[in-house]
Amino acid sequence: MSNAFDFPGGIYPPERKQRSNQSALIEAPLPSRVTLPLQQHSGQPATPCVAQGDTVKVGSVIAKREGMVSSALHASISGTVGEVSTTQISIDGDGQDAWLRLPPLEWQYAEPHALLERLNESGIVGLGGAGFPAHIKARVVERHTIDTLVINAAECEPYITADDLTLRHYANEVLEGAQITAKLCGAQHIVIGIEDNKPEAIDALKQALTNSQPVPVELTVIATRYPSGGERQLIKKLLDLNVPSGGLPADVGVLCHNPGTLLAILHAVRDGQPLVSRTVTLTGEAITQPGNRWVRLGTSVRELLEQTGLNTSELHQVIQGGPMMGTPLLTLDTPVTKLTNCLIAATLEELPPPPAESPCIRCGECESVCPVALLPQQLHWYARAQDDAKLERYHLFDCIECGACSYVCPSHIPLVVDYREAKSRIRLQRIEATKAEHAKHRFEFRQARLAREEAEKQARKQARQAQQRRPSNTAATNSEKVDLRGLRIAHAAAKASVKKAEKTLARVAQEDPKQSLDDLEMQLATAQENLKAAELQLAQAREQQSSEESS
Amino acid sequence: MSMMHASGVKDAMTTTAVPPTASLMRWVIAATLPGIATMSYFFGLGVISNVLLAAAFGVALEAAVLRLRQRPIRVALNDSSALLTGVLLGTSLPPASPWWLIGVGMIAAIVVAKQLYGGLGHNPFNPAMVGYALLLVSFPTYMTLWAPPQEMLPNDVWAQITGALPTTQLDSLSGATPLDAFKHKGNAVLASEFWAANPLPNGTLTAWQWVALAWLAGGGVLMAKRIISWHIPIAMLGSLVLLATLFYLSAPSHFASPLFHLLTGATLFGAFFIATDPVSAATSQRGKLIYGAGIGALVIIIRTFGGYPDAVAFAVLLMNLCVPLLDLYSVPQPTGQQKASPGKPGEQP
Repeated sequence: MSNAFDFPGGIYPPERKQRSNQSALIEAPLPSRVTLPLQQHSGQPATPCVAQGDTVKVGSVIAKREGMVSSALHASISGTVGEVSTTQISIDGDGQDAWLRLPPLEWQYAEPHALLERLNESGIVGLGGAGFPAHIKARVVERHTIDTLVINAAECEPYITADDLTLRHYANEVLEGAQITAKLCGAQHIVIGIEDNKPEAIDALKQALTNSQPVPVELTVIATRYPSGGERQLIKKLLDLNVPSGGLPADVGVLCHNPGTLLAILHAVRDGQPLVSRTVTLTGEAITQPGNRWVRLGTSVRELLEQTGLNTSELHQVIQGGPMMGTPLLTLDTPVTKLTNCLIAATLEELPPPPAESPCIRCGECESVCPVALLPQQLHWYARAQDDAKLERYHLFDCIECGACSYVCPSHIPLVVDYREAKSRIRLQRIEATKAEHAKHRFEFRQARLAREEAEKQARKQARQAQQRRPSNTAATNSEKVDLRGLRIAHAAAKASVKKAEKTLARVAQEDPKQSLDDLEMQLATAQENLKAAELQLAQAREQQSSEESS
Repeated sequence: MSMMHASGVKDAMTTTAVPPTASLMRWVIAATLPGIATMSYFFGLGVISNVLLAAAFGVALEAAVLRLRQRPIRVALNDSSALLTGVLLGTSLPPASPWWLIGVGMIAAIVVAKQLYGGLGHNPFNPAMVGYALLLVSFPTYMTLWAPPQEMLPNDVWAQITGALPTTQLDSLSGATPLDAFKHKGNAVLASEFWAANPLPNGTLTAWQWVALAWLAGGGVLMAKRIISWHIPIAMLGSLVLLATLFYLSAPSHFASPLFHLLTGATLFGAFFIATDPVSAATSQRGKLIYGAGIGALVIIIRTFGGYPDAVAFAVLLMNLCVPLLDLYSVPQPTGQQKASPGKPGEQP
């Protein structure tokens, strides 16, 4: 598996990593005040569990996990809780930096559920950018067999060197974190994928992997090409496996983690230290001391940049994340979150805004760089025309939004912006459609329930009448001829639809546990009501018939 | 949202990006220069005056229509696409064509084929070839007569201004292109008789071959600079040579040799400068291969069995018609859409 396989397309943007990878990873000064947004991860925002004026230490839980896919939040400095709003909590520091740690765990001997619980308590999320809660990711083994844990150290975006510096300083720790994760998911192999533009990190890893126990670790150095750090692209490149469309790496037996996340996992397990800080690359031409810092979550971006010598007159924009997939910050008074891997203080010359868009001339350059082998140009066409059927036919939802197409477009068309808009529009429509469908099913359920109640009433009435009638009246055959055969067919059909609904529900629950099952549950209940009503009617008719025959 | 763009970075280690659309057009114009120069060396200044006139018409018409459509004029003119259409049509016409002929052709190209369909990027047909085909069908007398080589007379240009047919072209035999001559063959029946009769004025064949090589040189530069992708020219020339070889081998006495097809007429000009117009071509790489191959095949079929001596314009337009269909059926398979390779770990049974 040492040879690298290939994914289609890709680009070679200037790397510009030199600017931030020349100095060591150091601690940023302790902030005097932090602002912690409740949503620093994918899924539901956390729910605050502190009030204004509460005293907290570093590591105190200040907001709890809400729902299944969510993550807890901890104080990142010690001090007093300031404002608690619906979106964020602020803490005024006391300068003490007093910690509240959880008891250390010996991961080699700890029970898996204890480790899982530790990840949950510590608020660990994926630090590569998506912020998916780590404990949910680890629970993937409940449904899939994981063979390989991939450490995604490709870090293919220009500018960013956070993983590079993390690995140079903490190669052993990252691998230990990987061993914990491998134990949790039952992986038999650990494969590190790293681009060849990080020789120091590669050396550090080479030294570390010889004594990494117990799962064997393999290091694969791949050529530098954007976007080799895309999860699917890296898995293709390292293992020659294709993650199916709409699926997860787990579908091909792979779990993918970023080195920063693995380090955070180790800190949570070994040291009982929740996620309160992360590595952030501070770079760009508009700061004089670029480099990587350990930054407490909630530190203001402005404060952080000013500490590294921000040249305000030169500053054009600050980008959070990389230049390819990141977003420009609208204000510098925004906090560093679990998702902030890089801050680029760029000058105008450094990252100039693209010239005005001109019409697409269908040159096809976008196609040749697309790492998913899509037709970006056709997608652009249909996205502008809002032709959703065509967009899905051209696999819009397989787009990973890497921006390679926008990068090369000779007409400077912001293609990814188009795709994002189209995706959110289609998602919204789908939600509306499911809502309407759900309402319809609710209505059907009500109808079925009413029908069943009516049938029960009829049955009771008939029973009563039969009781009254039996001794005297045998001539009461005036009721119309009973269609016993029709009722039997209806009964069989109702039975079949109950079975079908049960089957669908079971299958969907197994395939996609994340999906809401309300609607399918409702459909099953409807079918059950229908079956009951049919049973009653049939029983009633049979009785009637038998009473007629006997009379 | 990509904050980095290939055109805005100067420090990329490997430049793989194509230049911006406007300079892309200018590159194509620049690449026509060897061809135009060689043509005017052999066929006179009438070639250059054609090109200049057509280019002027192109820019003027584009500006006029943009004004009527109330679109920003300067931005659109700046992309040089109208200029390019003018250069391409001007090159295709017989040297020193009457000014009104060029004007009519450019109206068909810019106004009808391009702007009425929505402007740059929206035209289903190659504008220059729409103009050319219209002229060929409507004014065959003016379109099929080429001044023989080495008659670089200034009064050609004068005829162009007055709108008359150049006097040198009135001699119909001396004004035929090699393809035209071969098609009609004079009194000859077999190819060998035709060649034995020495039907073309001295140097005609050589002149056309030199011109073809000049187009090849320009096209080579465009491919090397990645301004045009290799798919269309290679597929077109490949299918053209293949089909011509099949015909030639089946009956050498009736059909022209593959080399004759390759080096006369608009074959190489068409392969590198006309068929490669990305707007009206198929979009995916697979589609481009089919598109190019289709053009090559049609060129041979029309030249051999059709009523016209050359066929690049019609072949390109016919394949333009097929593009929506090609685009529909040549969608590549995105990664992850195919099933995961069987027998890999972790796969659910």
